[in-house]
Amino acid sequence: MDFARRAILGQIAKLTAGAALVPLASITMSSSAVASPINSQPARREGDASKRYGMLIDLRQCIGCQACTVSCHIENEAPLGNFRTIVSQYEVSNESTGDFATMMLPRLCNQCENPPCVPVCPVQATFQRKDGIVVVDNEACVGCAYCVQACPYDARFINKKTQTADKCTFCAHRLEANLLPACVESCVGGARIIGDMRDPSSQISKMIAQHRSELMVLKPEQGTLPQVYYLGMDERFLSRPQAEPALWDVRDMDGKEIGYEFLDH
Amino acid sequence: MNSSIIEILTPRYELAWYPWAVQYFFLIAISYSALLLSLPGTIGRGQLAQRWQPMARLALLITLTCTLVAPVALLADLHQPMRFWHFYTNATPTSWMSIGSILLPLYLISVLAYVWLAWRPALQKARAGSGFRPSIAKVLSFGDWQASRAILTTVALVATLFAFGIMLYTGAEIAIIKARPLWHTNWLPIMFVTTGMVAAAGLVILLNRWMSPEREGREDINRQGLKVILIAMLISALVATAWFVSGFSGHSDSVAAALQSIQANSDWRLSAIWALVAGVTLFVLAGLALKAGNQARSVLNWAWIVGLLALHVGWAFRWMVLMEVQTVAKNTAGYYQLVVELGSYGLMGIIGTFGLWLAALLLIDLFIPWQGKAQLEAQHG
Repeated sequence: MDFARRAILGQIAKLTAGAALVPLASITMSSSAVASPINSQPARREGDASKRYGMLIDLRQCIGCQACTVSCHIENEAPLGNFRTIVSQYEVSNESTGDFATMMLPRLCNQCENPPCVPVCPVQATFQRKDGIVVVDNEACVGCAYCVQACPYDARFINKKTQTADKCTFCAHRLEANLLPACVESCVGGARIIGDMRDPSSQISKMIAQHRSELMVLKPEQGTLPQVYYLGMDERFLSRPQAEPALWDVRDMDGKEIGYEFLDH
Repeated sequence: MNSSIIEILTPRYELAWYPWAVQYFFLIAISYSALLLSLPGTIGRGQLAQRWQPMARLALLITLTCTLVAPVALLADLHQPMRFWHFYTNATPTSWMSIGSILLPLYLISVLAYVWLAWRPALQKARAGSGFRPSIAKVLSFGDWQASRAILTTVALVATLFAFGIMLYTGAEIAIIKARPLWHTNWLPIMFVTTGMVAAAGLVILLNRWMSPEREGREDINRQGLKVILIAMLISALVATAWFVSGFSGHSDSVAAALQSIQANSDWRLSAIWALVAGVTLFVLAGLALKAGNQARSVLNWAWIVGLLALHVGWAFRWMVLMEVQTVAKNTAGYYQLVVELGSYGLMGIIGTFGLWLAALLLIDLFIPWQGKAQLEAQHG
């Protein structure tokens, strides 16, 4: 049994190796709608086809202050307990030396070039705009949560207030008003860089050109072609990390679990 | 370098699909399996038809009741159930769920037509006399004309065709989800069908204990049902083995993901042991019951326990696949909590679905002569 497990886990390691492969070629790729076989990407609609928004997160600048988490929460009015963006925080200890390091990993929707959440939607409520941003029309959404299952990044959730699918939109409403997304605006270290990757003079294009070989994306083996690039990334965190959860069950003085506030909302 | 990692802050999300989904997958699988079980006795000829006719009566009753109730559970799993009509105004050919939303009503209509045609001769006979039941029979039989055998056969085959469509879409809908490696395997749709067959045969045996009209036919029904359970369990075991072996080839992460969860989570370990014990027990018990039945001993008084266990295996498989797999966080450490609340999103939903099914069963039993000749004779005699 142990042998079997090792053999199989070895296969996974092989799949996730070569993870640094970054789907940058896709930026220049024009997306033309082909006749739609089941589970293929439907045609993109709305948005500015001359742009392709992406984000670069410079992990070297992130201090894990969660200002992005909070400002996003306020801007987009997500219910308590649900997050369009959040910073995962890890404590990594070297078992032989006993040294500690912390790892901050801001997570949000990757606005994938090949978003698996879009073709599964049975009512075309979620779609990809021509500028690459994946949005949800919550007037059309039936709340079947199929997209929540299909996203490999847990970036989607059912909003209890609207009873429809909810996700990060790169603050599309702010971009349209020439404002930065709330998370970018509030980032203390300037770790989040958003911009049009088709514009060679944009900061994100310049940084991509400068750091091309160091950039990584999350779960590249899923074939989703994420468009959120991480600089200063550790390969161990590309997929679900082999980590112990802490602050998972919050207990009171008597050792009894404290109810989560969001359960009642 | 060995390192250990602690994830300090982890959001805990609620599961997006409720137990309603399990109820739908369970009932619809029983529905299409019972439809198949009803075919030999309803549209077969000669000895074959004769041998399977008692079984077909129960199978028709089961397929109709489950087909009526399953869509209710599906609708309830939507967070915006009143928007269900969007499925038809915004049909999406890229989505298996959308394809399913087209197939499901067609399947429902064809099953209704099939069962109605099969029951119609009895309904026409039941019109005699006055009272509530004859007047219902008058309304439901829609006149004196006789439907030919060819019509019944055609409608049965159309319903069977849609049944295969339901098998395909319910399986594919789950199996295409790459984000959940446990679901992303071609063996899953086959397993849904084989375990569905186990559950349907189990329900036949269970209802046979209390609802079958003829005393002599009941032992035959049990033997046939037990045989179906044995064969379906055997195929399920082969499919599970094939799935496990496919994990070694590196084409599927599904097996590795399962082993990882079993290793990391005590709930998963318990579930895996439970599944194995329940499966083996069912197989052995069904084998023993069939052996006793073949030796002309009556198994009527205890075969229903095998039926219940078969239903449990079919239901628990879906619970495991649809609910437990959702507890595996895709990005973060640990597992989300599977909390079955008391309300309609939890326990009441589960009980309510079964209650609705029972109500449908009892209403049909009260007002419709589904047992055919035997029931009519009993009523008039």
